[in-house]
Amino acid sequence: MDTTGAGALIKALEDVGCEVIFGMPGGAILPAYDPLFDSKIRHVLVRHEQGAGHAAQGYAQATGRVGVCMATSGPGATNLVTPLADAYMDSVPIVAITGQVARSMIGTDAFQEADIRSITLPITKHSFQVHDPADIPRVIAEAFTLASSGRPGPVLVDLPKDVLATATTYTPPKITTPSRPVLSPVQIRNAAQLIGSSKRPVFYVGGGVIRSGAAQELRKLAEKTGIPVVTTLMARGAFPDSHPLHLGMPGMHGTVPAVAALQRADLLIALGTRFDDRVTGLLPEFAPHAAVIHADIDPAEISKNRKADVGIVGDCRDVMAALSAVITRKTDLTDWWNYLGGLLTTYPLGYDWPADGMLAPQYVIERISKLAGPEAIYTAGVGQHQMWAAQYVKYERPGSFINSGGAGTMGFAVPAAMGAQAGAPDRTVWAIDGDGCFQMTNQELATCAAEGIPIKVAIINNGNLGMVRQWQTLFYEGRYSNTRLGTHQRHPDFVKLADALGCVGLRCESQSEVDGVVLEAMAVHDRPVVVDFVVGQDAQVWPMVAAGTGNDEIMAARGIRPLFDEVE
Amino acid sequence: MTRHSLSLLLRNEPGALARIVVLFSSRGVEVESLSLAPAERGDLSRLDVVVGLQQGRTVVQLIKQLGRVVDVKNVVDGTHDEALELGA
Repeated sequence: MDTTGAGALIKALEDVGCEVIFGMPGGAILPAYDPLFDSKIRHVLVRHEQGAGHAAQGYAQATGRVGVCMATSGPGATNLVTPLADAYMDSVPIVAITGQVARSMIGTDAFQEADIRSITLPITKHSFQVHDPADIPRVIAEAFTLASSGRPGPVLVDLPKDVLATATTYTPPKITTPSRPVLSPVQIRNAAQLIGSSKRPVFYVGGGVIRSGAAQELRKLAEKTGIPVVTTLMARGAFPDSHPLHLGMPGMHGTVPAVAALQRADLLIALGTRFDDRVTGLLPEFAPHAAVIHADIDPAEISKNRKADVGIVGDCRDVMAALSAVITRKTDLTDWWNYLGGLLTTYPLGYDWPADGMLAPQYVIERISKLAGPEAIYTAGVGQHQMWAAQYVKYERPGSFINSGGAGTMGFAVPAAMGAQAGAPDRTVWAIDGDGCFQMTNQELATCAAEGIPIKVAIINNGNLGMVRQWQTLFYEGRYSNTRLGTHQRHPDFVKLADALGCVGLRCESQSEVDGVVLEAMAVHDRPVVVDFVVGQDAQVWPMVAAGTGNDEIMAARGIRPLFDEVE
Repeated sequence: MTRHSLSLLLRNEPGALARIVVLFSSRGVEVESLSLAPAERGDLSRLDVVVGLQQGRTVVQLIKQLGRVVDVKNVVDGTHDEALELGA
């Protein structure tokens, strides 16, 4: 007996390469915090456990490593539910360590008892509750392997307090690297054949390409074939925005050329993507003329929403390397590119300045992108600002855009930026946030200030729950029920709030001030900065495919439906 | 609604059955009957279940989703004798 369960936990975390834990102590997890005090692992003391979970997600996505968050039993653990659900939806590798009441107390409605394993069953890849301290190192190693292998995802490790306190002998865990799925040569050949004979192919690229680290292989394969590329919300950065083969983001707020490419394609080469409803629109009308090659590491995704003609179970990196090896020539895509080129020229992304003379939110994001550049990391919350961050930041590298895609979790941006900055201290990290989102998790700015994590936050403050308001404008006859937040009346005053949280607070209300204030924010390195960009409340996200309609009804702007009106 | 009988081998780990039942509930799968018994191997249990699937949902899809569960070692579709072997 050389240690305790708690000692074994911290030692095991060190041995699997954990360098930072985002967490908050409390009764049941308290034994773990004692050996952690002497560990080389950095602990970032959050102000709310939800912040710890999203920070672990931000860290994981910025570094490609497993993010770790820790909380006590009961409410500490239940506060991790949203980040776990988020990580499950977006396949983010995180390990959540929760304290639990002592074994003898489990099931007695003890103080701060919650059955967190059962609560999180549908939103974790796997979970453990450890009853023997000798098992802790093995369980931690398994949790890390499960979280990061195959289709990544969240894993929960629940540790009763007495298990943490019991003496044990430390056995170093065996760290295994599971083998990747072996590709079917027949399916690769079939896919290559389809690609060779298609006239209007498109690479439909999802977040799996980023998770598998396959951006280089994608670029190679795209350049070799000359096939156009679209990158979904989760794949922004998987292919450079500046690349001439890139048509932008597809989906509900995608570009007209990207949506048109899917709708008019005769072949979708879907890579690490799951035909999400935000991309497909009304499913029966999605890509009606296309055959489908679908490659994904998760066999359960293939043919889930759209039947695949060729399904390939595999890691995207392996799939693209295999395809590159068998595809020998470029097919003639001149007609296809003539069509898409026309759309690129006619329907570039664009926006109007608000009629009331207020600042255009898109302009703010465009300028941040220009001034911070592609080496920065951008995070976003959920809503209009998220879509503008996806549209108007120019991404050139994977891992540079971190957002809540599948779950759509408001409040994601600030804690995710905190985690990203902790993992990538040399990069500039900008949280593009909304005034609604910001008010859900801004307490983590106190964490950032105390821990020396100098993130920048751009609040795109339109005074409202902007995306909901946009839908009220378009679909509820302008009846603005409960979407006004009062943030234009300074409830709260974001500059004062930033100051109170130990950050620099700045405000910007006109076009001529934008560059200056962004540069001023970027010059601060010793603490976080919050910029309150006061923008017009009527700016809308365009293009748009209205919910429940087919992609052919995409509106470039209100009332303009380029594909629907197209004469073929 | 289509009906299928599935036979699963589960690891005898706490929560394994709960994970399967929650998967059915999350994915809108109806359970018509369910029985759990020890399997030949002591560390495994056999779960026989008859499920009803909504229109548009395939049993192949459900088998793959069950296959993602770490504690599921094997799934056999008794209706078509289609097996998803997940190894030991």
